[in-house]
Amino acid sequence: MKTSRRLLPWLVALLLPMATATADETCNSPYLANLIKGQEDYLHVWTLGVPGLGDGADKLVTVDVNPRSAKYGKVIDVVSVGGRGEAHHMGFTDDRRYLWAGRLDDSKIFVFDVGTNPAKPKLVKTIVDLPEKSGWVGPHTFYPIPGRMLIGTLSNARDHGGATGLAVYNNKGDYVASHAIPTALPGAVKADGYGYDIAVHPNKNVMLTSSFTGHKNYMMDLGKLMADPAAMKNFGNTMVVWDFKAMKPMKVLDTPGAPLEIRWSLNEGDNWAITASALTSKLWLIKQDERGEWQARDVAPIGDPAKIPLPVDISIAANGKSLWVNTFMDGKTRLFDLTNPAAPKQVYEKVTGKQVNMVSQSWDGKRVYVTSSLLANWDKKGKDDEQFLKLFSWDGKELREQWKIDFTKEGLGRAHHMKFTAKPSGVAAISGPAIADRGAPAR
Amino acid sequence: MRRRADVLLCGALACLGLAGALAAIPPRQQFTVPAPGSYRLESIQAAADGAVLESDGTAGPLRRYTTGKVTLLSFIYTYCVDPVGCPLAFQTFSDLRTRLLAKPEMARRVRFVSLSFDPTNDTPTALRHYAGNLAAPGSPLRWHFLTTRSAAELRPIVDGFGQDVSVNVDAQGRPTRFYNHLLKVFLIDARGRVREIYTTAYLMPDVIFNDIQTLLMER
Repeated sequence: MKTSRRLLPWLVALLLPMATATADETCNSPYLANLIKGQEDYLHVWTLGVPGLGDGADKLVTVDVNPRSAKYGKVIDVVSVGGRGEAHHMGFTDDRRYLWAGRLDDSKIFVFDVGTNPAKPKLVKTIVDLPEKSGWVGPHTFYPIPGRMLIGTLSNARDHGGATGLAVYNNKGDYVASHAIPTALPGAVKADGYGYDIAVHPNKNVMLTSSFTGHKNYMMDLGKLMADPAAMKNFGNTMVVWDFKAMKPMKVLDTPGAPLEIRWSLNEGDNWAITASALTSKLWLIKQDERGEWQARDVAPIGDPAKIPLPVDISIAANGKSLWVNTFMDGKTRLFDLTNPAAPKQVYEKVTGKQVNMVSQSWDGKRVYVTSSLLANWDKKGKDDEQFLKLFSWDGKELREQWKIDFTKEGLGRAHHMKFTAKPSGVAAISGPAIADRGAPAR
Repeated sequence: MRRRADVLLCGALACLGLAGALAAIPPRQQFTVPAPGSYRLESIQAAADGAVLESDGTAGPLRRYTTGKVTLLSFIYTYCVDPVGCPLAFQTFSDLRTRLLAKPEMARRVRFVSLSFDPTNDTPTALRHYAGNLAAPGSPLRWHFLTTRSAAELRPIVDGFGQDVSVNVDAQGRPTRFYNHLLKVFLIDARGRVREIYTTAYLMPDVIFNDIQTLLMER
């Protein structure tokens, strides 16, 4: 008993949330370290450079998003990486200490230290050998696996078409391996080799990949692209189910119309994922059937598919019961009830901008962040080319705008992908004095 | 044998008066593991090197414990009770130890290493007490409990493996006894190359056992 009492304070401390763990968005892998579940402190926005605006370069913009801060809703840091290479998506390493950010045009990957001081991310490495090492170009999704980053790419160095693959780098930024998205796989569905997002379910040893289009298309002006029937054929129509351990494709799923972001339900025990197809404007459910076979089924339209609203990002709730969907063309943010994932129902919609792209909700579902940019050459023109980051509160009935940062007015560029971090507090690096001189008694 | 491993785990926690309070929480495995040798484990990075101390006080380079055999290594601290941290690593190692000891020829080609985050508390003497019979030199499967002379000697090893760790501080800014770290277990081939890394969600004994066999099948 005496020993137990002496250890009680330690036990209590250990049962408390991790000191660095206070906020998060639901679109991170739940298998990351320190998944954070309260009020986020900072929002990082990977921003495309615009010629003549500010320094014109791609940059990581950090915004203070803690309402208790004097700088709430303000840009507090900007790290310009130089040049314009179509800044697009980001992802944390497994320990969340580093944020990897990719560019779809020049295939550069920028590694920021966000663990030491997330209020001031520091560029610590630029990876430039992706095309040379893997043969792929257009690094899109950065998905953390233990000690490594799995990178989903959009295109290839050979013809800049849609055949592509996955590249693996270790957390130090060294190339490890690559895996082609299948272009031929036995089964009823024709494999097409396209790539986009990645999502792993470790308990099932299943990885899903989705598909988009190649460099020639995503770098083309959207109006020109949509008027080119031949180019419009060059979009992926499939998802692939992989044996994650063996990194072997097992099955190709028929999901026509460029299935983009993939979200596994975050609800404990759920074994299904959902995605949205951009060109056909549908929600798809990926789930095992009674025989254990993975199947994809379109389960709901998003808006009027005939009008091509172009669903882009999705954000699933922490309990897996609802899903925010942004549609680029009509500038709407929609909420679907996923209580029955086989029959999602739209329960809310609001125009949140002239064009909207990424949507990230906080873990508690009370805050929804929206950005505006899709791709430099796909964004709208003229007065419709609004570039912003907006925060909305969600009370279960209404999205209410709390603040907006005008990225054009601020001279920043086109706001694209978002990631949350939290202020580290109450921790120190291990070092000689840090632990050698500590006051706590040894056991 | 499984019961014995559980008893050893409970014994280690009982010395802290915490047995039964915080059971390790393993991930749920809902799949059949690919057969050994049916897949390839990529070379992820070189295992870090540095100066370490064995629980009998012997000093030497870490590479002595990461080459020549297939090695399963994790960082621990002896009084960690995070159910998805060190106790889970201990439980997983104990499970694998039982499986490997059932195949002594295989066990002789494998070693386990538990390397402490806390050289101040986890001295060789403390580790010897913690390890008990698990570190018996005569076992076909050697399990080494290592520490370092100082945090300064530990730091490059931790960094080399890519193992994040920080220590909580109290209101006065003094370090406490709680380490923040993402549990990582490193599978290292006989040439000292890290071939797989398991974090909590991926730490499944069936998978690790087949991964060990996969490396042992390599020529």
